[in-house]
Amino acid sequence: MKILLVEDNERVARFVAKGLRASGHAVDRADNGRDGMSLAARSPYDTIILDRMLPGGIDGLAVIESLRKSGSRTPILILSALSDVDERIRGLRGGGDDYLTKPFAFGELLARLDALARRTPAAGTTPTGLTVGDLHMDLLSRRVTRGERAVLVLPREFKLLEYLMRHEGQVVTRAMLLENVWEYDFDPQTNVVDVHISRLRQKIELESETPLLHTVRNAGYRMGAGD
Amino acid sequence: MIRSSALTLSIGYVLLGIVALSLFAMPLWYAWHVFVDGGRAELVQEDAQRLAGIFYTRGPDGLAKIIAQRVELQIANERLLLLTDPSLKPLAGNLNEWPKGVPEPGAYTSVSISVSGRPIRAALVRTELPGGYNLLVGRDLARLQPLETRFWYGLATAVGMFALMGLAGGLLVRRTVLARIERINETAMRIVQGELSHRLPLGRRDDEFDKLSRIINQMLDQIEQLVHGVRNVSNSIAHDLRTPLTELRSRLEEVAVLRPSNEEMLAEVEAAVADVDRVIGIFNALLRLAKIDAGAGHSAFIEVDAADAAAKAVEFYQPSAELKGIRLTFDEKGRAPILCDPVLLAQAIGNLIDNALKFTPEEGKVAVETRRREDGAVEITVADNGPGIPEAEKPKVVERFYRGDASRGTPGVGLGLSLVGAVARLHVGSLDFFDNRPGLRARMVLFGIA
Repeated sequence: MKILLVEDNERVARFVAKGLRASGHAVDRADNGRDGMSLAARSPYDTIILDRMLPGGIDGLAVIESLRKSGSRTPILILSALSDVDERIRGLRGGGDDYLTKPFAFGELLARLDALARRTPAAGTTPTGLTVGDLHMDLLSRRVTRGERAVLVLPREFKLLEYLMRHEGQVVTRAMLLENVWEYDFDPQTNVVDVHISRLRQKIELESETPLLHTVRNAGYRMGAGD
Repeated sequence: MIRSSALTLSIGYVLLGIVALSLFAMPLWYAWHVFVDGGRAELVQEDAQRLAGIFYTRGPDGLAKIIAQRVELQIANERLLLLTDPSLKPLAGNLNEWPKGVPEPGAYTSVSISVSGRPIRAALVRTELPGGYNLLVGRDLARLQPLETRFWYGLATAVGMFALMGLAGGLLVRRTVLARIERINETAMRIVQGELSHRLPLGRRDDEFDKLSRIINQMLDQIEQLVHGVRNVSNSIAHDLRTPLTELRSRLEEVAVLRPSNEEMLAEVEAAVADVDRVIGIFNALLRLAKIDAGAGHSAFIEVDAADAAAKAVEFYQPSAELKGIRLTFDEKGRAPILCDPVLLAQAIGNLIDNALKFTPEEGKVAVETRRREDGAVEITVADNGPGIPEAEKPKVVERFYRGDASRGTPGVGLGLSLVGAVARLHVGSLDFFDNRPGLRARMVLFGIA
């Protein structure tokens, strides 16, 4: 994946670029809004990581605005030290696709980037159903089956499972689950998400069945048939 | 001399009093004058006519005789009488010569005349009699002089007294006022120098100064409380951040000194990251609290059903409750719409439930209830049957970083209930704790802000 990183803090930029390259991505760097804009205009990127506050008069929001005006639909992840919900809403309304508050864990950044870049449906996705391995979710009848076995899930568990299955093969963080499944824009500072996941796991993975819902250390969870 | 408003005010009042006094005296003076003048003119004219009558019946000699008699009888020298022949040579009367400055015949006038070189003011009537004789009848106005003088003296004395008493009163007021202001100043100066516990003295009169002092004292109470709050918060921040930072430091130092194997090193680094995350978590919570306490974010207020929010939170925490064997129930008593910040509302309810779950023993009960009151406020109650909070600790639990005895060994830094309290305050509400016999019943009341 080809990623543009617009970040003025040299240390953060180097850390992020290094990590992204280690994960197999190509990274171009700019340290101000003007350079960022000209880079984005010159060559197409799969995603843009953009710092909210940039030196030189053109801040992150201005960059997003001009990119969106010129018709670019490249997914943009905003990085910001401003953690307010208001700021977050402003960034997303301005045309950003996701928002991450500094300081952040690199795993969180990587997971969100993957989610942004792969907005095209995963392999087993049809308009009426989702499939991961032998786990199938019928979106119309809202029924879940594993092989021949029916899996009974509560409405919120259905939503959680749906989100995980839609992001098959990707790492999904706890914060992403909180935002997308429960619409909680804050950190409840407890392990409640883990408890939800372990309950869901008990339902979709009997002892004799192969694991589908994997825990990724220091990051979150990943749904997938293999590994 | 110090510029004093009390003195300026009293001088102003004295001047005003003098003007009022003059306004009262002047018309009186004028009316009296007119009255006296009129009466005198009549008398003088009557006199002149009667004497002229005598002249017609008895001739010049007869009149001269009468005038001579009258002059002899007269005690005071106030009445002026003079009869002259056509050459203005005196025939009879109490004037030795025809005075200078006598007006034309007929009219009554008051003029200054000169009698044997002595000027006097007199009211005169001059009558021309047949044969060129001249008759002069008049009154010496000097007789009225003492009366006038006395009037002016009276007025002057009144004005003087008024001015004197007014100024004395002003000075007195100024002295008492200044004394009290001086006391306020002294206290204020001490407070400025950092002695925040000082309070203004209160009198027993309950006058304006006491009212002012009381309000200032209330203000000082509030400031003192805020300052103490800030001091406590700084101390707590210092303390609560020092612990994870110390751990982090020693961890890193140990790694640097011991140079463990790669695998151990990795574990240490991960632990160090966790330490940093803890510090970041505390920072974020504090920033959020500060933001809420600054009262910002009213613009984000939308109408939300608190019952829905509570139901969602209960559902969210249900697995955790079940894991601990706690029965978490939600009792909805109808819709509870409220104008609020939805994120903060959700977080506040979450914190209350989280708190209850943390302190309730296994097989316990946590009951959540939402209710819309008749006055439009919304009550969200979370009741548990855990150990509860001792009465003395209740006011403290919403303080930042406060952790009661029961919270030893539980996770958390003591900011959860502070946030609930701050959210309640932002929504003009309150957070109260009651005894659930046994356990704790936390009640958050929110008022929607229209």
